[in-house]
Amino acid sequence: MSATMIPDYGVLGARAAAGVKPTTLSDDQQVARAKAAFIAGMTGDMATYLESCIHCGMCAEACHFYIATGDAKYTPIYKAEPLKKVYRRELAPMRWLYRLTTRDITVEDLADWQELAYDSCTQCGRCSLLCPMGIHIQSMIQVVRNGLEAAGMAPAELQALCEEQSDKASILGAGPDKLREVVERVRAQGIEVPLDKDQAEVMVLSSALDFLKDDGVVAATARIMNKVGADWTIRSDGFESANFGALAGDVRAQRRISNRIIDAAIATGAKKVIVAECGHAYPVLRWEAATLYGQELPFEFLSVAEFLGQELQAGRLKLKNAGNGASHVTFHDPCKIGRMGGSFDDARQVLDALGLKLTEMESHGRTNLCCGGGGGVAMLKSAQHIREQAFELKREEVERTGAQSVVTACNTCMQSLEMGKARLNWDKDVVNLVNLVSDSLA
Amino acid sequence: MNEGLYLQGMSLLDFARGPALRWAVAIFVIGVVWRLGALLLYKRQDLSRPRGATFAGGAKTLLTRSAPPHELEKDIKFQHYSGYAWHISMFIVLLFGTPHMLFFKGILGFGWPTLPTVYITVLSVLTTAILLVLLARRVMNPVLRKISTTDDYISWFMAFLPFLTGLMAYMHVTFGMRYETVLALHILSICLLLVWFPFGKLMHAVMIWPSRYKVGAAFARRGVRA
Amino acid sequence: MEWQGSAEEHSMAANNTVGDVLRANGVSRRGFMKFCAATASMMALPPGMVSTVAAAIENARRPSVLWLPFQECTGCTESLTRSHTPTVEGLIFDAVSLDYHHTLQAAAGQRAEDALHKAMEENYGNYLLLVDGSIPTGDYEAYSCTNGHTHLSMLKEAAAGAAAIVTIGTCAAYGGIPKANPNPTEAVGVQDIIKDKPIINVPGCPPIPTVITGVLAHYLTFGTIPELDKFGRPMAFYGQNIHDRCYRRPFYDRGQFANSFDDEGAKKGYCLFKLGCKGPVTYNACATLKWNEGVSWPVQSGHGCLGCSEPDFWDKGSFYRPVSAAYWGDVKTIGITAAAGAAAALAAGALARGKQKKAQEEQA
Repeated sequence: MSATMIPDYGVLGARAAAGVKPTTLSDDQQVARAKAAFIAGMTGDMATYLESCIHCGMCAEACHFYIATGDAKYTPIYKAEPLKKVYRRELAPMRWLYRLTTRDITVEDLADWQELAYDSCTQCGRCSLLCPMGIHIQSMIQVVRNGLEAAGMAPAELQALCEEQSDKASILGAGPDKLREVVERVRAQGIEVPLDKDQAEVMVLSSALDFLKDDGVVAATARIMNKVGADWTIRSDGFESANFGALAGDVRAQRRISNRIIDAAIATGAKKVIVAECGHAYPVLRWEAATLYGQELPFEFLSVAEFLGQELQAGRLKLKNAGNGASHVTFHDPCKIGRMGGSFDDARQVLDALGLKLTEMESHGRTNLCCGGGGGVAMLKSAQHIREQAFELKREEVERTGAQSVVTACNTCMQSLEMGKARLNWDKDVVNLVNLVSDSLA
Repeated sequence: MNEGLYLQGMSLLDFARGPALRWAVAIFVIGVVWRLGALLLYKRQDLSRPRGATFAGGAKTLLTRSAPPHELEKDIKFQHYSGYAWHISMFIVLLFGTPHMLFFKGILGFGWPTLPTVYITVLSVLTTAILLVLLARRVMNPVLRKISTTDDYISWFMAFLPFLTGLMAYMHVTFGMRYETVLALHILSICLLLVWFPFGKLMHAVMIWPSRYKVGAAFARRGVRA
Repeated sequence: MEWQGSAEEHSMAANNTVGDVLRANGVSRRGFMKFCAATASMMALPPGMVSTVAAAIENARRPSVLWLPFQECTGCTESLTRSHTPTVEGLIFDAVSLDYHHTLQAAAGQRAEDALHKAMEENYGNYLLLVDGSIPTGDYEAYSCTNGHTHLSMLKEAAAGAAAIVTIGTCAAYGGIPKANPNPTEAVGVQDIIKDKPIINVPGCPPIPTVITGVLAHYLTFGTIPELDKFGRPMAFYGQNIHDRCYRRPFYDRGQFANSFDDEGAKKGYCLFKLGCKGPVTYNACATLKWNEGVSWPVQSGHGCLGCSEPDFWDKGSFYRPVSAAYWGDVKTIGITAAAGAAAALAAGALARGKQKKAQEEQA
């Protein structure tokens, strides 16, 4: 694996942001739109959470951005402050009291919170696991993003990509045409890729973020799918896992983007849809898409790791066992697939089948520390500094395991680890699960 | 209710034990039920396929959230254990002080064994000390300063006052006031607490349970232990 | 003592000193000094003052004292007179010139009334007025009369010429049991009617005899009103809390209580707090002076203090309800308030959902 495998998200983000026009909304309109989005996004669950917050500050100690910087503004619940304020004044049962004692949010508040809701939250959900009151903080920061996006205050990088993906089904110009190109190149390597089959059991997703610079992941995925003998396809009308609607906080765009995949999967008659190794894509599709679509789905979403685990158990996936502990690795649980997705064991079963010696980091499984780049943060130039500081925590935990390689199953995590490796001349190998498996097919 | 308390010749203690407490209890009940109305807000129906049982997960989290995993707990040891110490000693004083038990017996109709004065006094002093430390921490810790509101300080005061007046009554440190005046102030401090309860964060005593349940259920749906 | 002057001139009864009377009744010097020492200590006087007290009492001219019983039960008089043996306290009363006490005096009817008026005229401005019993007022004034005169009018008349008034018992002091809810006679205490005379309240139901005589002794000794608390009670006797002076207090501190009147705790003499003892909120000298010549007192006999020396003690809830058990309301009230809360919650919730629906429609 080389650092060129994954494109530099920061560069991609900057390219996208260059085309964004500043908002034409007045201050009042911005505030009104943000408030409407907060009100629309609040649920009874969130109201319960906000009612029970005791301002204990413990969530700060769960957040990699706070731990890394020690800056109090990165306290997770503080990032949901505008939502809390609007809830209290507009929806809370005791709103008459809060109307008397608090002031409304201002456009300045919203501007201040752009950094807090986007740059300093990777939506990793670790705070939601620590809060003694049981507050799902991460879900509320997403609603803050909804409000900021509605006010035209999402970061330019995400806003641009959100608009492009929503309108043109492409990311940085990489759409169906680009996919066809990539597929041709992979086919040229002698790997069969069933593109746009009418009917298939399994529909595999990819992502422009994977193939913009390199065809490796697509090739590796195809090799595995062929090897396990799946009846599979990849559809040019619904292949993009990434969802910049969700990352920017635009619910309508998010729905439009995830509906493309659902429509394609239903058209194909797929029973399983394999979400590429793209962190946020998994929870967005697995947990949110059906609700936004408006009905239960006739197929299931699986992460690549989950699919590999299932195939391994079913005996269809056979791997070369490199021998007992031939290589010493540690596994970085992608937040979106582990803590926010519920898949922990699948990847570990694969590592075991490969005969690798696995040493867990102190924070692993549901308590893993984020790499620092998830939730769109990797795209944001303004977040570069704290992202790098947060990465330091990850690096230290990896160092303490003594493992030579870090395996993960998310291209954003890969990106963060690769960038950190390049920046620090880190001597660890960074490997993604698909490539690892594809290289060891028996 | 009709125990023959009349405004004529009513002492401060009579007022505290009678009308003040009755009004405080009424406001408390109305407020708590009212504020639970937050639970009635729009509920999004989740159409995704669950990975785990939400009810079992939610129910489990009611308890498991009291003991977070080590990786998360290691950095919050102070808050975690000071919180435990304060709540446990507060509940011991509240439930096992003889006069307190008799107060509840008057409401519930049954009583239970209680602790000698000396234990209650020591625990009250301990609790008061913890409260002072927690206040100092709230004032000095940057994170807490960032997220603290007036509510936090009012609620702190409402929790502190009963301990202060209770200790004064129990230890007969009355600053020249008569015992029954201090006792009346003690009961009035409880009335104040009851009145404030539904409006401030003291309400967490109630909200913690639906909140923990919901976060547990949300994670359990995704197959994650929370 | 200035007020004695005219009494001495006009009343034969006032010719002897208190000391003469006591000696004539066989009270030894030793017994008398003992009483004076006890009185001095009750009044919190330094030991050096004992002889002053003795001299003052011994040489005091017998002051004219009028005792008016109003709406009462005679319990206070009984307390004073039904001592087991003649006591110095009882004899002090013999030593004063008790010019009117219609329960005790031989005279009755018009003769008694004449005696009263005679004493009032002779000692106008100087006599000490003792009152027991409450006074009915308003439409109910006539519910308590003596020889056709309402007690309200009698009090006003007698108070006009009094040097000071001592109320004996809780009824005279604060209205007591007659005033208890629903107070059918609109009864009040002396202090509610008489505003222009010094009043010393000696409440209790009944008051401790020693306290009555102690207050009189103070008056005889110093000719002044003793230091009073906010309820008009002499601090010397009512300054201390029963609970603080109770011999069962250590059991309270140790958490050892009687849970019923016949359980093991009750037999062992544990604290009666749980059985509703009002000691913690009652100020009286029972725990130190005790009753019946120091033989016992209510708590020692196994029953909690009723708080009888406190204003409106009858209306402060059950005698058997612990001091800390408050009057929080009842299930019905709680049900109604909960329903009100639920209604508010539903209304607030419905309005909020409406607001949300609108916002969601705009968003979609």
